[in-house]
Amino acid sequence: MAIFRLGTSFDPFVGLRSLQRELERLSWPWSGEARRVGGGTYPPVNVYESPGEIVVQCEAAGVSAADFDISITGETLTIKGVKRPPDEQDVRYVRRERGSGEFTRTIVLPDEVEADKIQAKLADGIMTIHLPKAATAKPRKIDVKTS
Amino acid sequence: MTDERTVQVETNRAAAEPNSSALSPLVDIYELPNEVVLVAEIPGVNKDSVSIQVDKGVLTLEAKPTPLSVGPEFAATYKGFESGPYYRAFALSDEIDRDKIRATTTNGVLTIHLPKAEMAKTRKIEIQTCD
Repeated sequence: MAIFRLGTSFDPFVGLRSLQRELERLSWPWSGEARRVGGGTYPPVNVYESPGEIVVQCEAAGVSAADFDISITGETLTIKGVKRPPDEQDVRYVRRERGSGEFTRTIVLPDEVEADKIQAKLADGIMTIHLPKAATAKPRKIDVKTS
Repeated sequence: MTDERTVQVETNRAAAEPNSSALSPLVDIYELPNEVVLVAEIPGVNKDSVSIQVDKGVLTLEAKPTPLSVGPEFAATYKGFESGPYYRAFALSDEIDRDKIRATTTNGVLTIHLPKAEMAKTRKIEIQTCD
Protein backbone atom coordinates (compact mmCIF):
# COMPACT_ATOMS: atom_id res chain seq x y z
CA MET A 1 0.00 0.00 0.00
CA ALA A 2 1.46 3.33 -1.03
CA ILE A 3 0.89 6.28 1.20
CA PHE A 4 1.34 9.79 -0.16
CA ARG A 5 2.03 12.54 2.23
CA LEU A 6 1.32 15.93 0.67
CA GLY A 7 4.02 18.28 1.85
CA THR A 8 4.08 21.96 1.02
CA SER A 9 6.49 21.43 -1.83
CA PHE A 10 4.56 18.58 -3.39
CA ASP A 11 2.07 19.55 -6.07
CA PRO A 12 0.41 16.63 -7.86
CA PHE A 13 -0.89 18.93 -10.59
CA VAL A 14 2.37 20.61 -11.44
CA GLY A 15 2.49 18.98 -14.87
CA LEU A 16 -1.08 20.00 -15.64
CA ARG A 17 -0.45 23.53 -14.52
CA SER A 18 2.58 23.98 -16.73
CA LEU A 19 0.60 22.57 -19.65
CA GLN A 20 -2.17 25.07 -18.93
CA ARG A 21 0.36 27.91 -18.84
CA GLU A 22 1.81 26.79 -22.14
CA LEU A 23 -1.64 26.69 -23.74
CA GLU A 24 -2.38 30.16 -22.41
CA ARG A 25 0.88 31.42 -23.83
CA LEU A 26 0.05 29.92 -27.23
CA SER A 27 -3.43 31.39 -27.33
CA TRP A 28 -2.26 34.70 -25.87
CA PRO A 29 1.13 35.20 -27.52
CA TRP A 30 1.21 38.94 -26.95
CA SER A 31 0.90 38.64 -23.17
CA GLY A 32 4.42 39.99 -22.79
CA GLU A 33 3.48 43.22 -24.52
CA ALA A 34 0.30 45.20 -24.46
CA ARG A 35 -2.86 43.12 -24.59
CA ARG A 36 -4.92 43.32 -27.70
CA VAL A 37 -8.59 44.04 -27.87
CA GLY A 38 -11.05 42.32 -30.14
CA GLY A 39 -11.75 38.69 -30.92
CA GLY A 40 -14.78 36.81 -29.67
CA THR A 41 -18.39 37.80 -30.07
CA TYR A 42 -19.01 41.36 -31.18
CA PRO A 43 -20.02 43.53 -29.45
CA PRO A 44 -18.69 42.43 -26.07
CA VAL A 45 -21.12 42.91 -23.17
CA ASN A 46 -20.97 43.13 -19.39
CA VAL A 47 -24.00 42.28 -17.27
CA TYR A 48 -24.35 43.61 -13.72
CA GLU A 49 -27.09 42.82 -11.27
CA SER A 50 -28.33 44.43 -8.08
CA PRO A 51 -31.43 43.45 -6.06
CA GLY A 52 -33.52 46.00 -7.96
CA GLU A 53 -31.88 46.42 -11.34
CA ILE A 54 -29.94 44.77 -14.14
CA VAL A 55 -27.37 46.81 -16.07
CA VAL A 56 -26.05 45.72 -19.46
CA GLN A 57 -23.00 47.46 -20.87
CA CYS A 58 -22.04 47.00 -24.48
CA GLU A 59 -18.79 48.18 -26.02
CA ALA A 60 -19.24 49.40 -29.59
CA ALA A 61 -16.91 52.22 -30.56
CA GLY A 62 -17.85 54.19 -33.63
CA VAL A 63 -21.54 53.30 -33.62
CA SER A 64 -23.80 56.33 -33.35
CA ALA A 65 -26.91 56.29 -31.15
CA ALA A 66 -29.18 56.33 -34.22
CA ASP A 67 -27.60 53.13 -35.53
CA PHE A 68 -28.50 51.14 -32.42
CA ASP A 69 -31.71 49.11 -32.27
CA ILE A 70 -32.42 47.74 -28.80
CA SER A 71 -35.49 45.63 -28.13
CA ILE A 72 -36.82 43.37 -25.40
CA THR A 73 -39.11 40.36 -25.55
CA GLY A 74 -39.85 38.84 -22.16
CA GLU A 75 -36.46 38.19 -20.62
CA THR A 76 -34.56 38.39 -23.91
CA LEU A 77 -32.73 41.60 -24.68
CA THR A 78 -31.60 42.10 -28.27
CA ILE A 79 -28.98 44.68 -29.21
CA LYS A 80 -28.75 45.27 -32.94
CA GLY A 81 -26.72 47.85 -34.74
CA VAL A 82 -24.69 48.89 -37.71
CA LYS A 83 -21.09 49.88 -37.54
CA ARG A 84 -20.69 52.00 -40.62
CA PRO A 85 -17.57 51.77 -42.73
CA PRO A 86 -15.55 54.98 -43.06
CA ASP A 87 -16.80 57.58 -45.52
CA GLU A 88 -13.52 57.67 -47.38
CA GLN A 89 -13.69 54.82 -49.85
CA ASP A 90 -11.02 55.51 -52.42
CA VAL A 91 -8.10 55.91 -50.12
CA ARG A 92 -4.96 53.91 -49.71
CA TYR A 93 -5.13 51.98 -46.45
CA VAL A 94 -1.83 51.49 -44.71
CA ARG A 95 -3.44 49.52 -41.90
CA ARG A 96 -6.95 48.27 -41.43
CA GLU A 97 -7.81 46.60 -38.14
CA ARG A 98 -11.25 48.01 -37.39
CA GLY A 99 -14.20 46.17 -38.81
CA SER A 100 -17.59 47.34 -39.97
CA GLY A 101 -21.00 45.84 -40.61
CA GLU A 102 -24.17 44.77 -38.85
CA PHE A 103 -24.21 43.09 -35.49
CA THR A 104 -26.76 41.41 -33.24
CA ARG A 105 -26.32 40.29 -29.68
CA THR A 106 -29.01 38.49 -27.72
CA ILE A 107 -28.84 38.39 -23.95
CA VAL A 108 -31.11 36.27 -21.79
CA LEU A 109 -31.56 38.31 -18.65
CA PRO A 110 -31.34 36.65 -15.24
CA ASP A 111 -34.73 38.06 -14.18
CA GLU A 112 -37.93 39.64 -15.42
CA VAL A 113 -37.71 43.37 -16.03
CA GLU A 114 -40.13 46.26 -16.48
CA ALA A 115 -40.01 46.86 -20.20
CA ASP A 116 -41.48 50.36 -19.96
CA LYS A 117 -38.79 51.64 -17.64
CA ILE A 118 -35.71 50.54 -19.59
CA GLN A 119 -33.21 53.31 -20.24
CA ALA A 120 -30.30 53.18 -22.68
CA LYS A 121 -27.48 55.69 -22.79
CA LEU A 122 -24.53 55.94 -25.16
CA ALA A 123 -21.35 57.60 -23.94
CA ASP A 124 -17.93 57.46 -25.61
CA GLY A 125 -18.70 54.25 -27.49
CA ILE A 126 -20.18 52.39 -24.52
CA MET A 127 -23.91 51.68 -24.46
CA THR A 128 -25.28 51.31 -20.93
CA ILE A 129 -28.78 49.84 -20.58
CA HIS A 130 -30.56 50.10 -17.22
CA LEU A 131 -33.30 47.51 -16.78
CA PRO A 132 -35.30 47.83 -13.54
CA LYS A 133 -36.49 44.44 -12.29
CA ALA A 134 -40.18 43.64 -12.29
CA ALA A 135 -41.91 43.74 -8.91
CA THR A 136 -42.28 39.95 -8.95
CA ALA A 137 -38.53 39.49 -9.45
CA LYS A 138 -37.46 41.80 -6.63
CA PRO A 139 -36.67 40.22 -3.29
CA ARG A 140 -39.37 40.83 -0.71
CA LYS A 141 -38.83 40.89 2.99
CA ILE A 142 -41.11 38.63 4.96
CA ASP A 143 -41.98 39.61 8.46
CA VAL A 144 -41.65 36.92 11.04
CA LYS A 145 -44.33 36.97 13.67
CA THR A 146 -43.78 35.82 17.17
CA SER A 147 -46.59 34.15 18.99
CA MET B 1 -25.08 62.18 -32.68
CA THR B 2 -22.02 64.06 -33.83
CA ASP B 3 -20.29 65.43 -30.79
CA GLU B 4 -16.85 65.95 -32.21
CA ARG B 5 -14.37 67.22 -29.71
CA THR B 6 -10.86 68.42 -30.24
CA VAL B 7 -8.04 66.76 -28.37
CA GLN B 8 -4.89 68.61 -27.38
CA VAL B 9 -1.71 67.29 -28.99
CA GLU B 10 1.54 67.70 -27.09
CA THR B 11 4.72 67.80 -29.11
CA ASN B 12 7.52 68.21 -26.63
CA ARG B 13 6.87 65.88 -23.74
CA ALA B 14 8.77 62.64 -23.39
CA ALA B 15 6.90 59.56 -24.55
CA ALA B 16 5.21 57.61 -21.78
CA GLU B 17 6.30 54.11 -20.90
CA PRO B 18 3.95 51.30 -21.89
CA ASN B 19 1.93 49.84 -19.08
CA SER B 20 1.91 46.04 -19.03
CA SER B 21 -1.85 45.94 -18.46
CA ALA B 22 -2.57 48.38 -21.28
CA LEU B 23 -4.70 47.37 -24.24
CA SER B 24 -3.47 48.00 -27.75
CA PRO B 25 -6.34 49.78 -29.55
CA LEU B 26 -7.41 48.72 -33.03
CA VAL B 27 -6.44 51.26 -35.66
CA ASP B 28 -7.06 52.15 -39.27
CA ILE B 29 -4.44 54.23 -41.03
CA TYR B 30 -5.10 55.68 -44.44
CA GLU B 31 -3.46 58.17 -46.70
CA LEU B 32 -5.08 61.13 -48.39
CA PRO B 33 -3.32 63.48 -50.83
CA ASN B 34 -2.58 66.04 -48.10
CA GLU B 35 -2.57 64.02 -44.91
CA VAL B 36 -2.36 60.66 -43.21
CA VAL B 37 -5.33 59.79 -40.99
CA LEU B 38 -5.09 57.48 -38.01
CA VAL B 39 -8.36 56.18 -36.56
CA ALA B 40 -8.21 54.37 -33.20
CA GLU B 41 -11.00 52.71 -31.23
CA ILE B 42 -10.87 53.76 -27.60
CA PRO B 43 -14.35 52.99 -26.21
CA GLY B 44 -15.08 54.38 -22.78
CA VAL B 45 -12.57 57.18 -23.01
CA ASN B 46 -13.60 60.76 -22.41
CA LYS B 47 -11.72 63.27 -24.58
CA ASP B 48 -10.00 64.76 -21.54
CA SER B 49 -8.40 61.41 -20.75
CA VAL B 50 -6.64 61.07 -24.09
CA SER B 51 -3.02 62.06 -24.35
CA ILE B 52 -1.19 62.19 -27.65
CA GLN B 53 2.50 62.95 -27.58
CA VAL B 54 5.01 63.35 -30.37
CA ASP B 55 8.59 62.88 -29.34
CA LYS B 56 11.63 62.02 -31.48
CA GLY B 57 9.48 60.93 -34.39
CA VAL B 58 7.26 58.63 -32.30
CA LEU B 59 3.60 59.38 -31.79
CA THR B 60 2.38 57.91 -28.51
CA LEU B 61 -1.28 57.46 -27.86
CA GLU B 62 -2.39 56.93 -24.29
CA ALA B 63 -5.97 56.88 -23.03
CA LYS B 64 -7.54 56.13 -19.69
CA PRO B 65 -11.19 55.08 -19.82
CA THR B 66 -13.75 56.15 -17.29
CA PRO B 67 -14.20 53.24 -14.83
CA LEU B 68 -17.04 50.94 -15.87
CA SER B 69 -18.35 50.36 -12.35
CA VAL B 70 -22.08 50.92 -12.11
CA GLY B 71 -22.39 51.08 -8.35
CA PRO B 72 -21.37 49.25 -5.19
CA GLU B 73 -24.69 47.40 -4.95
CA PHE B 74 -24.12 45.72 -8.32
CA ALA B 75 -22.42 42.37 -8.82
CA ALA B 76 -20.98 41.41 -12.20
CA THR B 77 -23.02 38.53 -13.61
CA TYR B 78 -21.15 38.31 -16.88
CA LYS B 79 -17.98 40.07 -17.98
CA GLY B 80 -17.23 40.21 -21.67
CA PHE B 81 -14.86 43.16 -21.75
CA GLU B 82 -12.71 45.29 -19.55
CA SER B 83 -11.82 48.89 -20.07
CA GLY B 84 -8.12 48.81 -19.60
CA PRO B 85 -5.95 51.79 -20.29
CA TYR B 86 -5.02 52.05 -23.96
CA TYR B 87 -1.48 52.48 -25.20
CA ARG B 88 0.03 52.36 -28.64
CA ALA B 89 3.02 54.04 -30.27
CA PHE B 90 3.57 54.78 -33.96
CA ALA B 91 6.72 55.84 -35.79
CA LEU B 92 6.05 58.97 -37.81
CA SER B 93 7.46 59.49 -41.24
CA ASP B 94 9.59 62.60 -41.78
CA GLU B 95 7.05 63.94 -44.21
CA ILE B 96 4.49 64.61 -41.44
CA ASP B 97 4.24 68.21 -40.24
CA ARG B 98 4.54 67.64 -36.46
CA ASP B 99 3.15 71.02 -35.50
CA LYS B 100 -0.10 70.67 -37.39
CA ILE B 101 -1.31 67.35 -35.97
CA ARG B 102 -4.87 67.55 -34.70
CA ALA B 103 -7.19 64.98 -33.16
CA THR B 104 -10.90 64.61 -32.48
CA THR B 105 -13.05 62.04 -30.67
CA THR B 106 -16.55 60.83 -31.60
CA ASN B 107 -18.38 57.90 -29.99
CA GLY B 108 -15.25 56.32 -28.62
CA VAL B 109 -13.30 56.68 -31.84
CA LEU B 110 -10.22 58.88 -31.95
CA THR B 111 -9.25 60.39 -35.29
CA ILE B 112 -5.77 61.87 -35.61
CA HIS B 113 -5.03 63.99 -38.69
CA LEU B 114 -1.37 64.03 -39.60
CA PRO B 115 -0.87 66.64 -42.33
CA LYS B 116 1.95 66.17 -44.78
CA ALA B 117 4.64 68.81 -44.81
CA GLU B 118 4.56 71.17 -47.78
CA MET B 119 7.68 69.64 -49.31
CA ALA B 120 6.27 66.10 -49.14
CA LYS B 121 3.08 66.82 -51.07
CA THR B 122 2.80 65.61 -54.60
CA ARG B 123 3.44 68.40 -57.06
CA LYS B 124 2.58 68.36 -60.68
CA ILE B 125 5.37 69.53 -62.90
CA GLU B 126 4.39 71.22 -66.09
CA ILE B 127 6.28 70.12 -69.13
CA GLN B 128 6.90 72.80 -71.64
CA THR B 129 7.60 72.15 -75.22
CA CYS B 130 10.07 74.25 -77.08
CA ASP B 131 9.55 74.03 -80.78
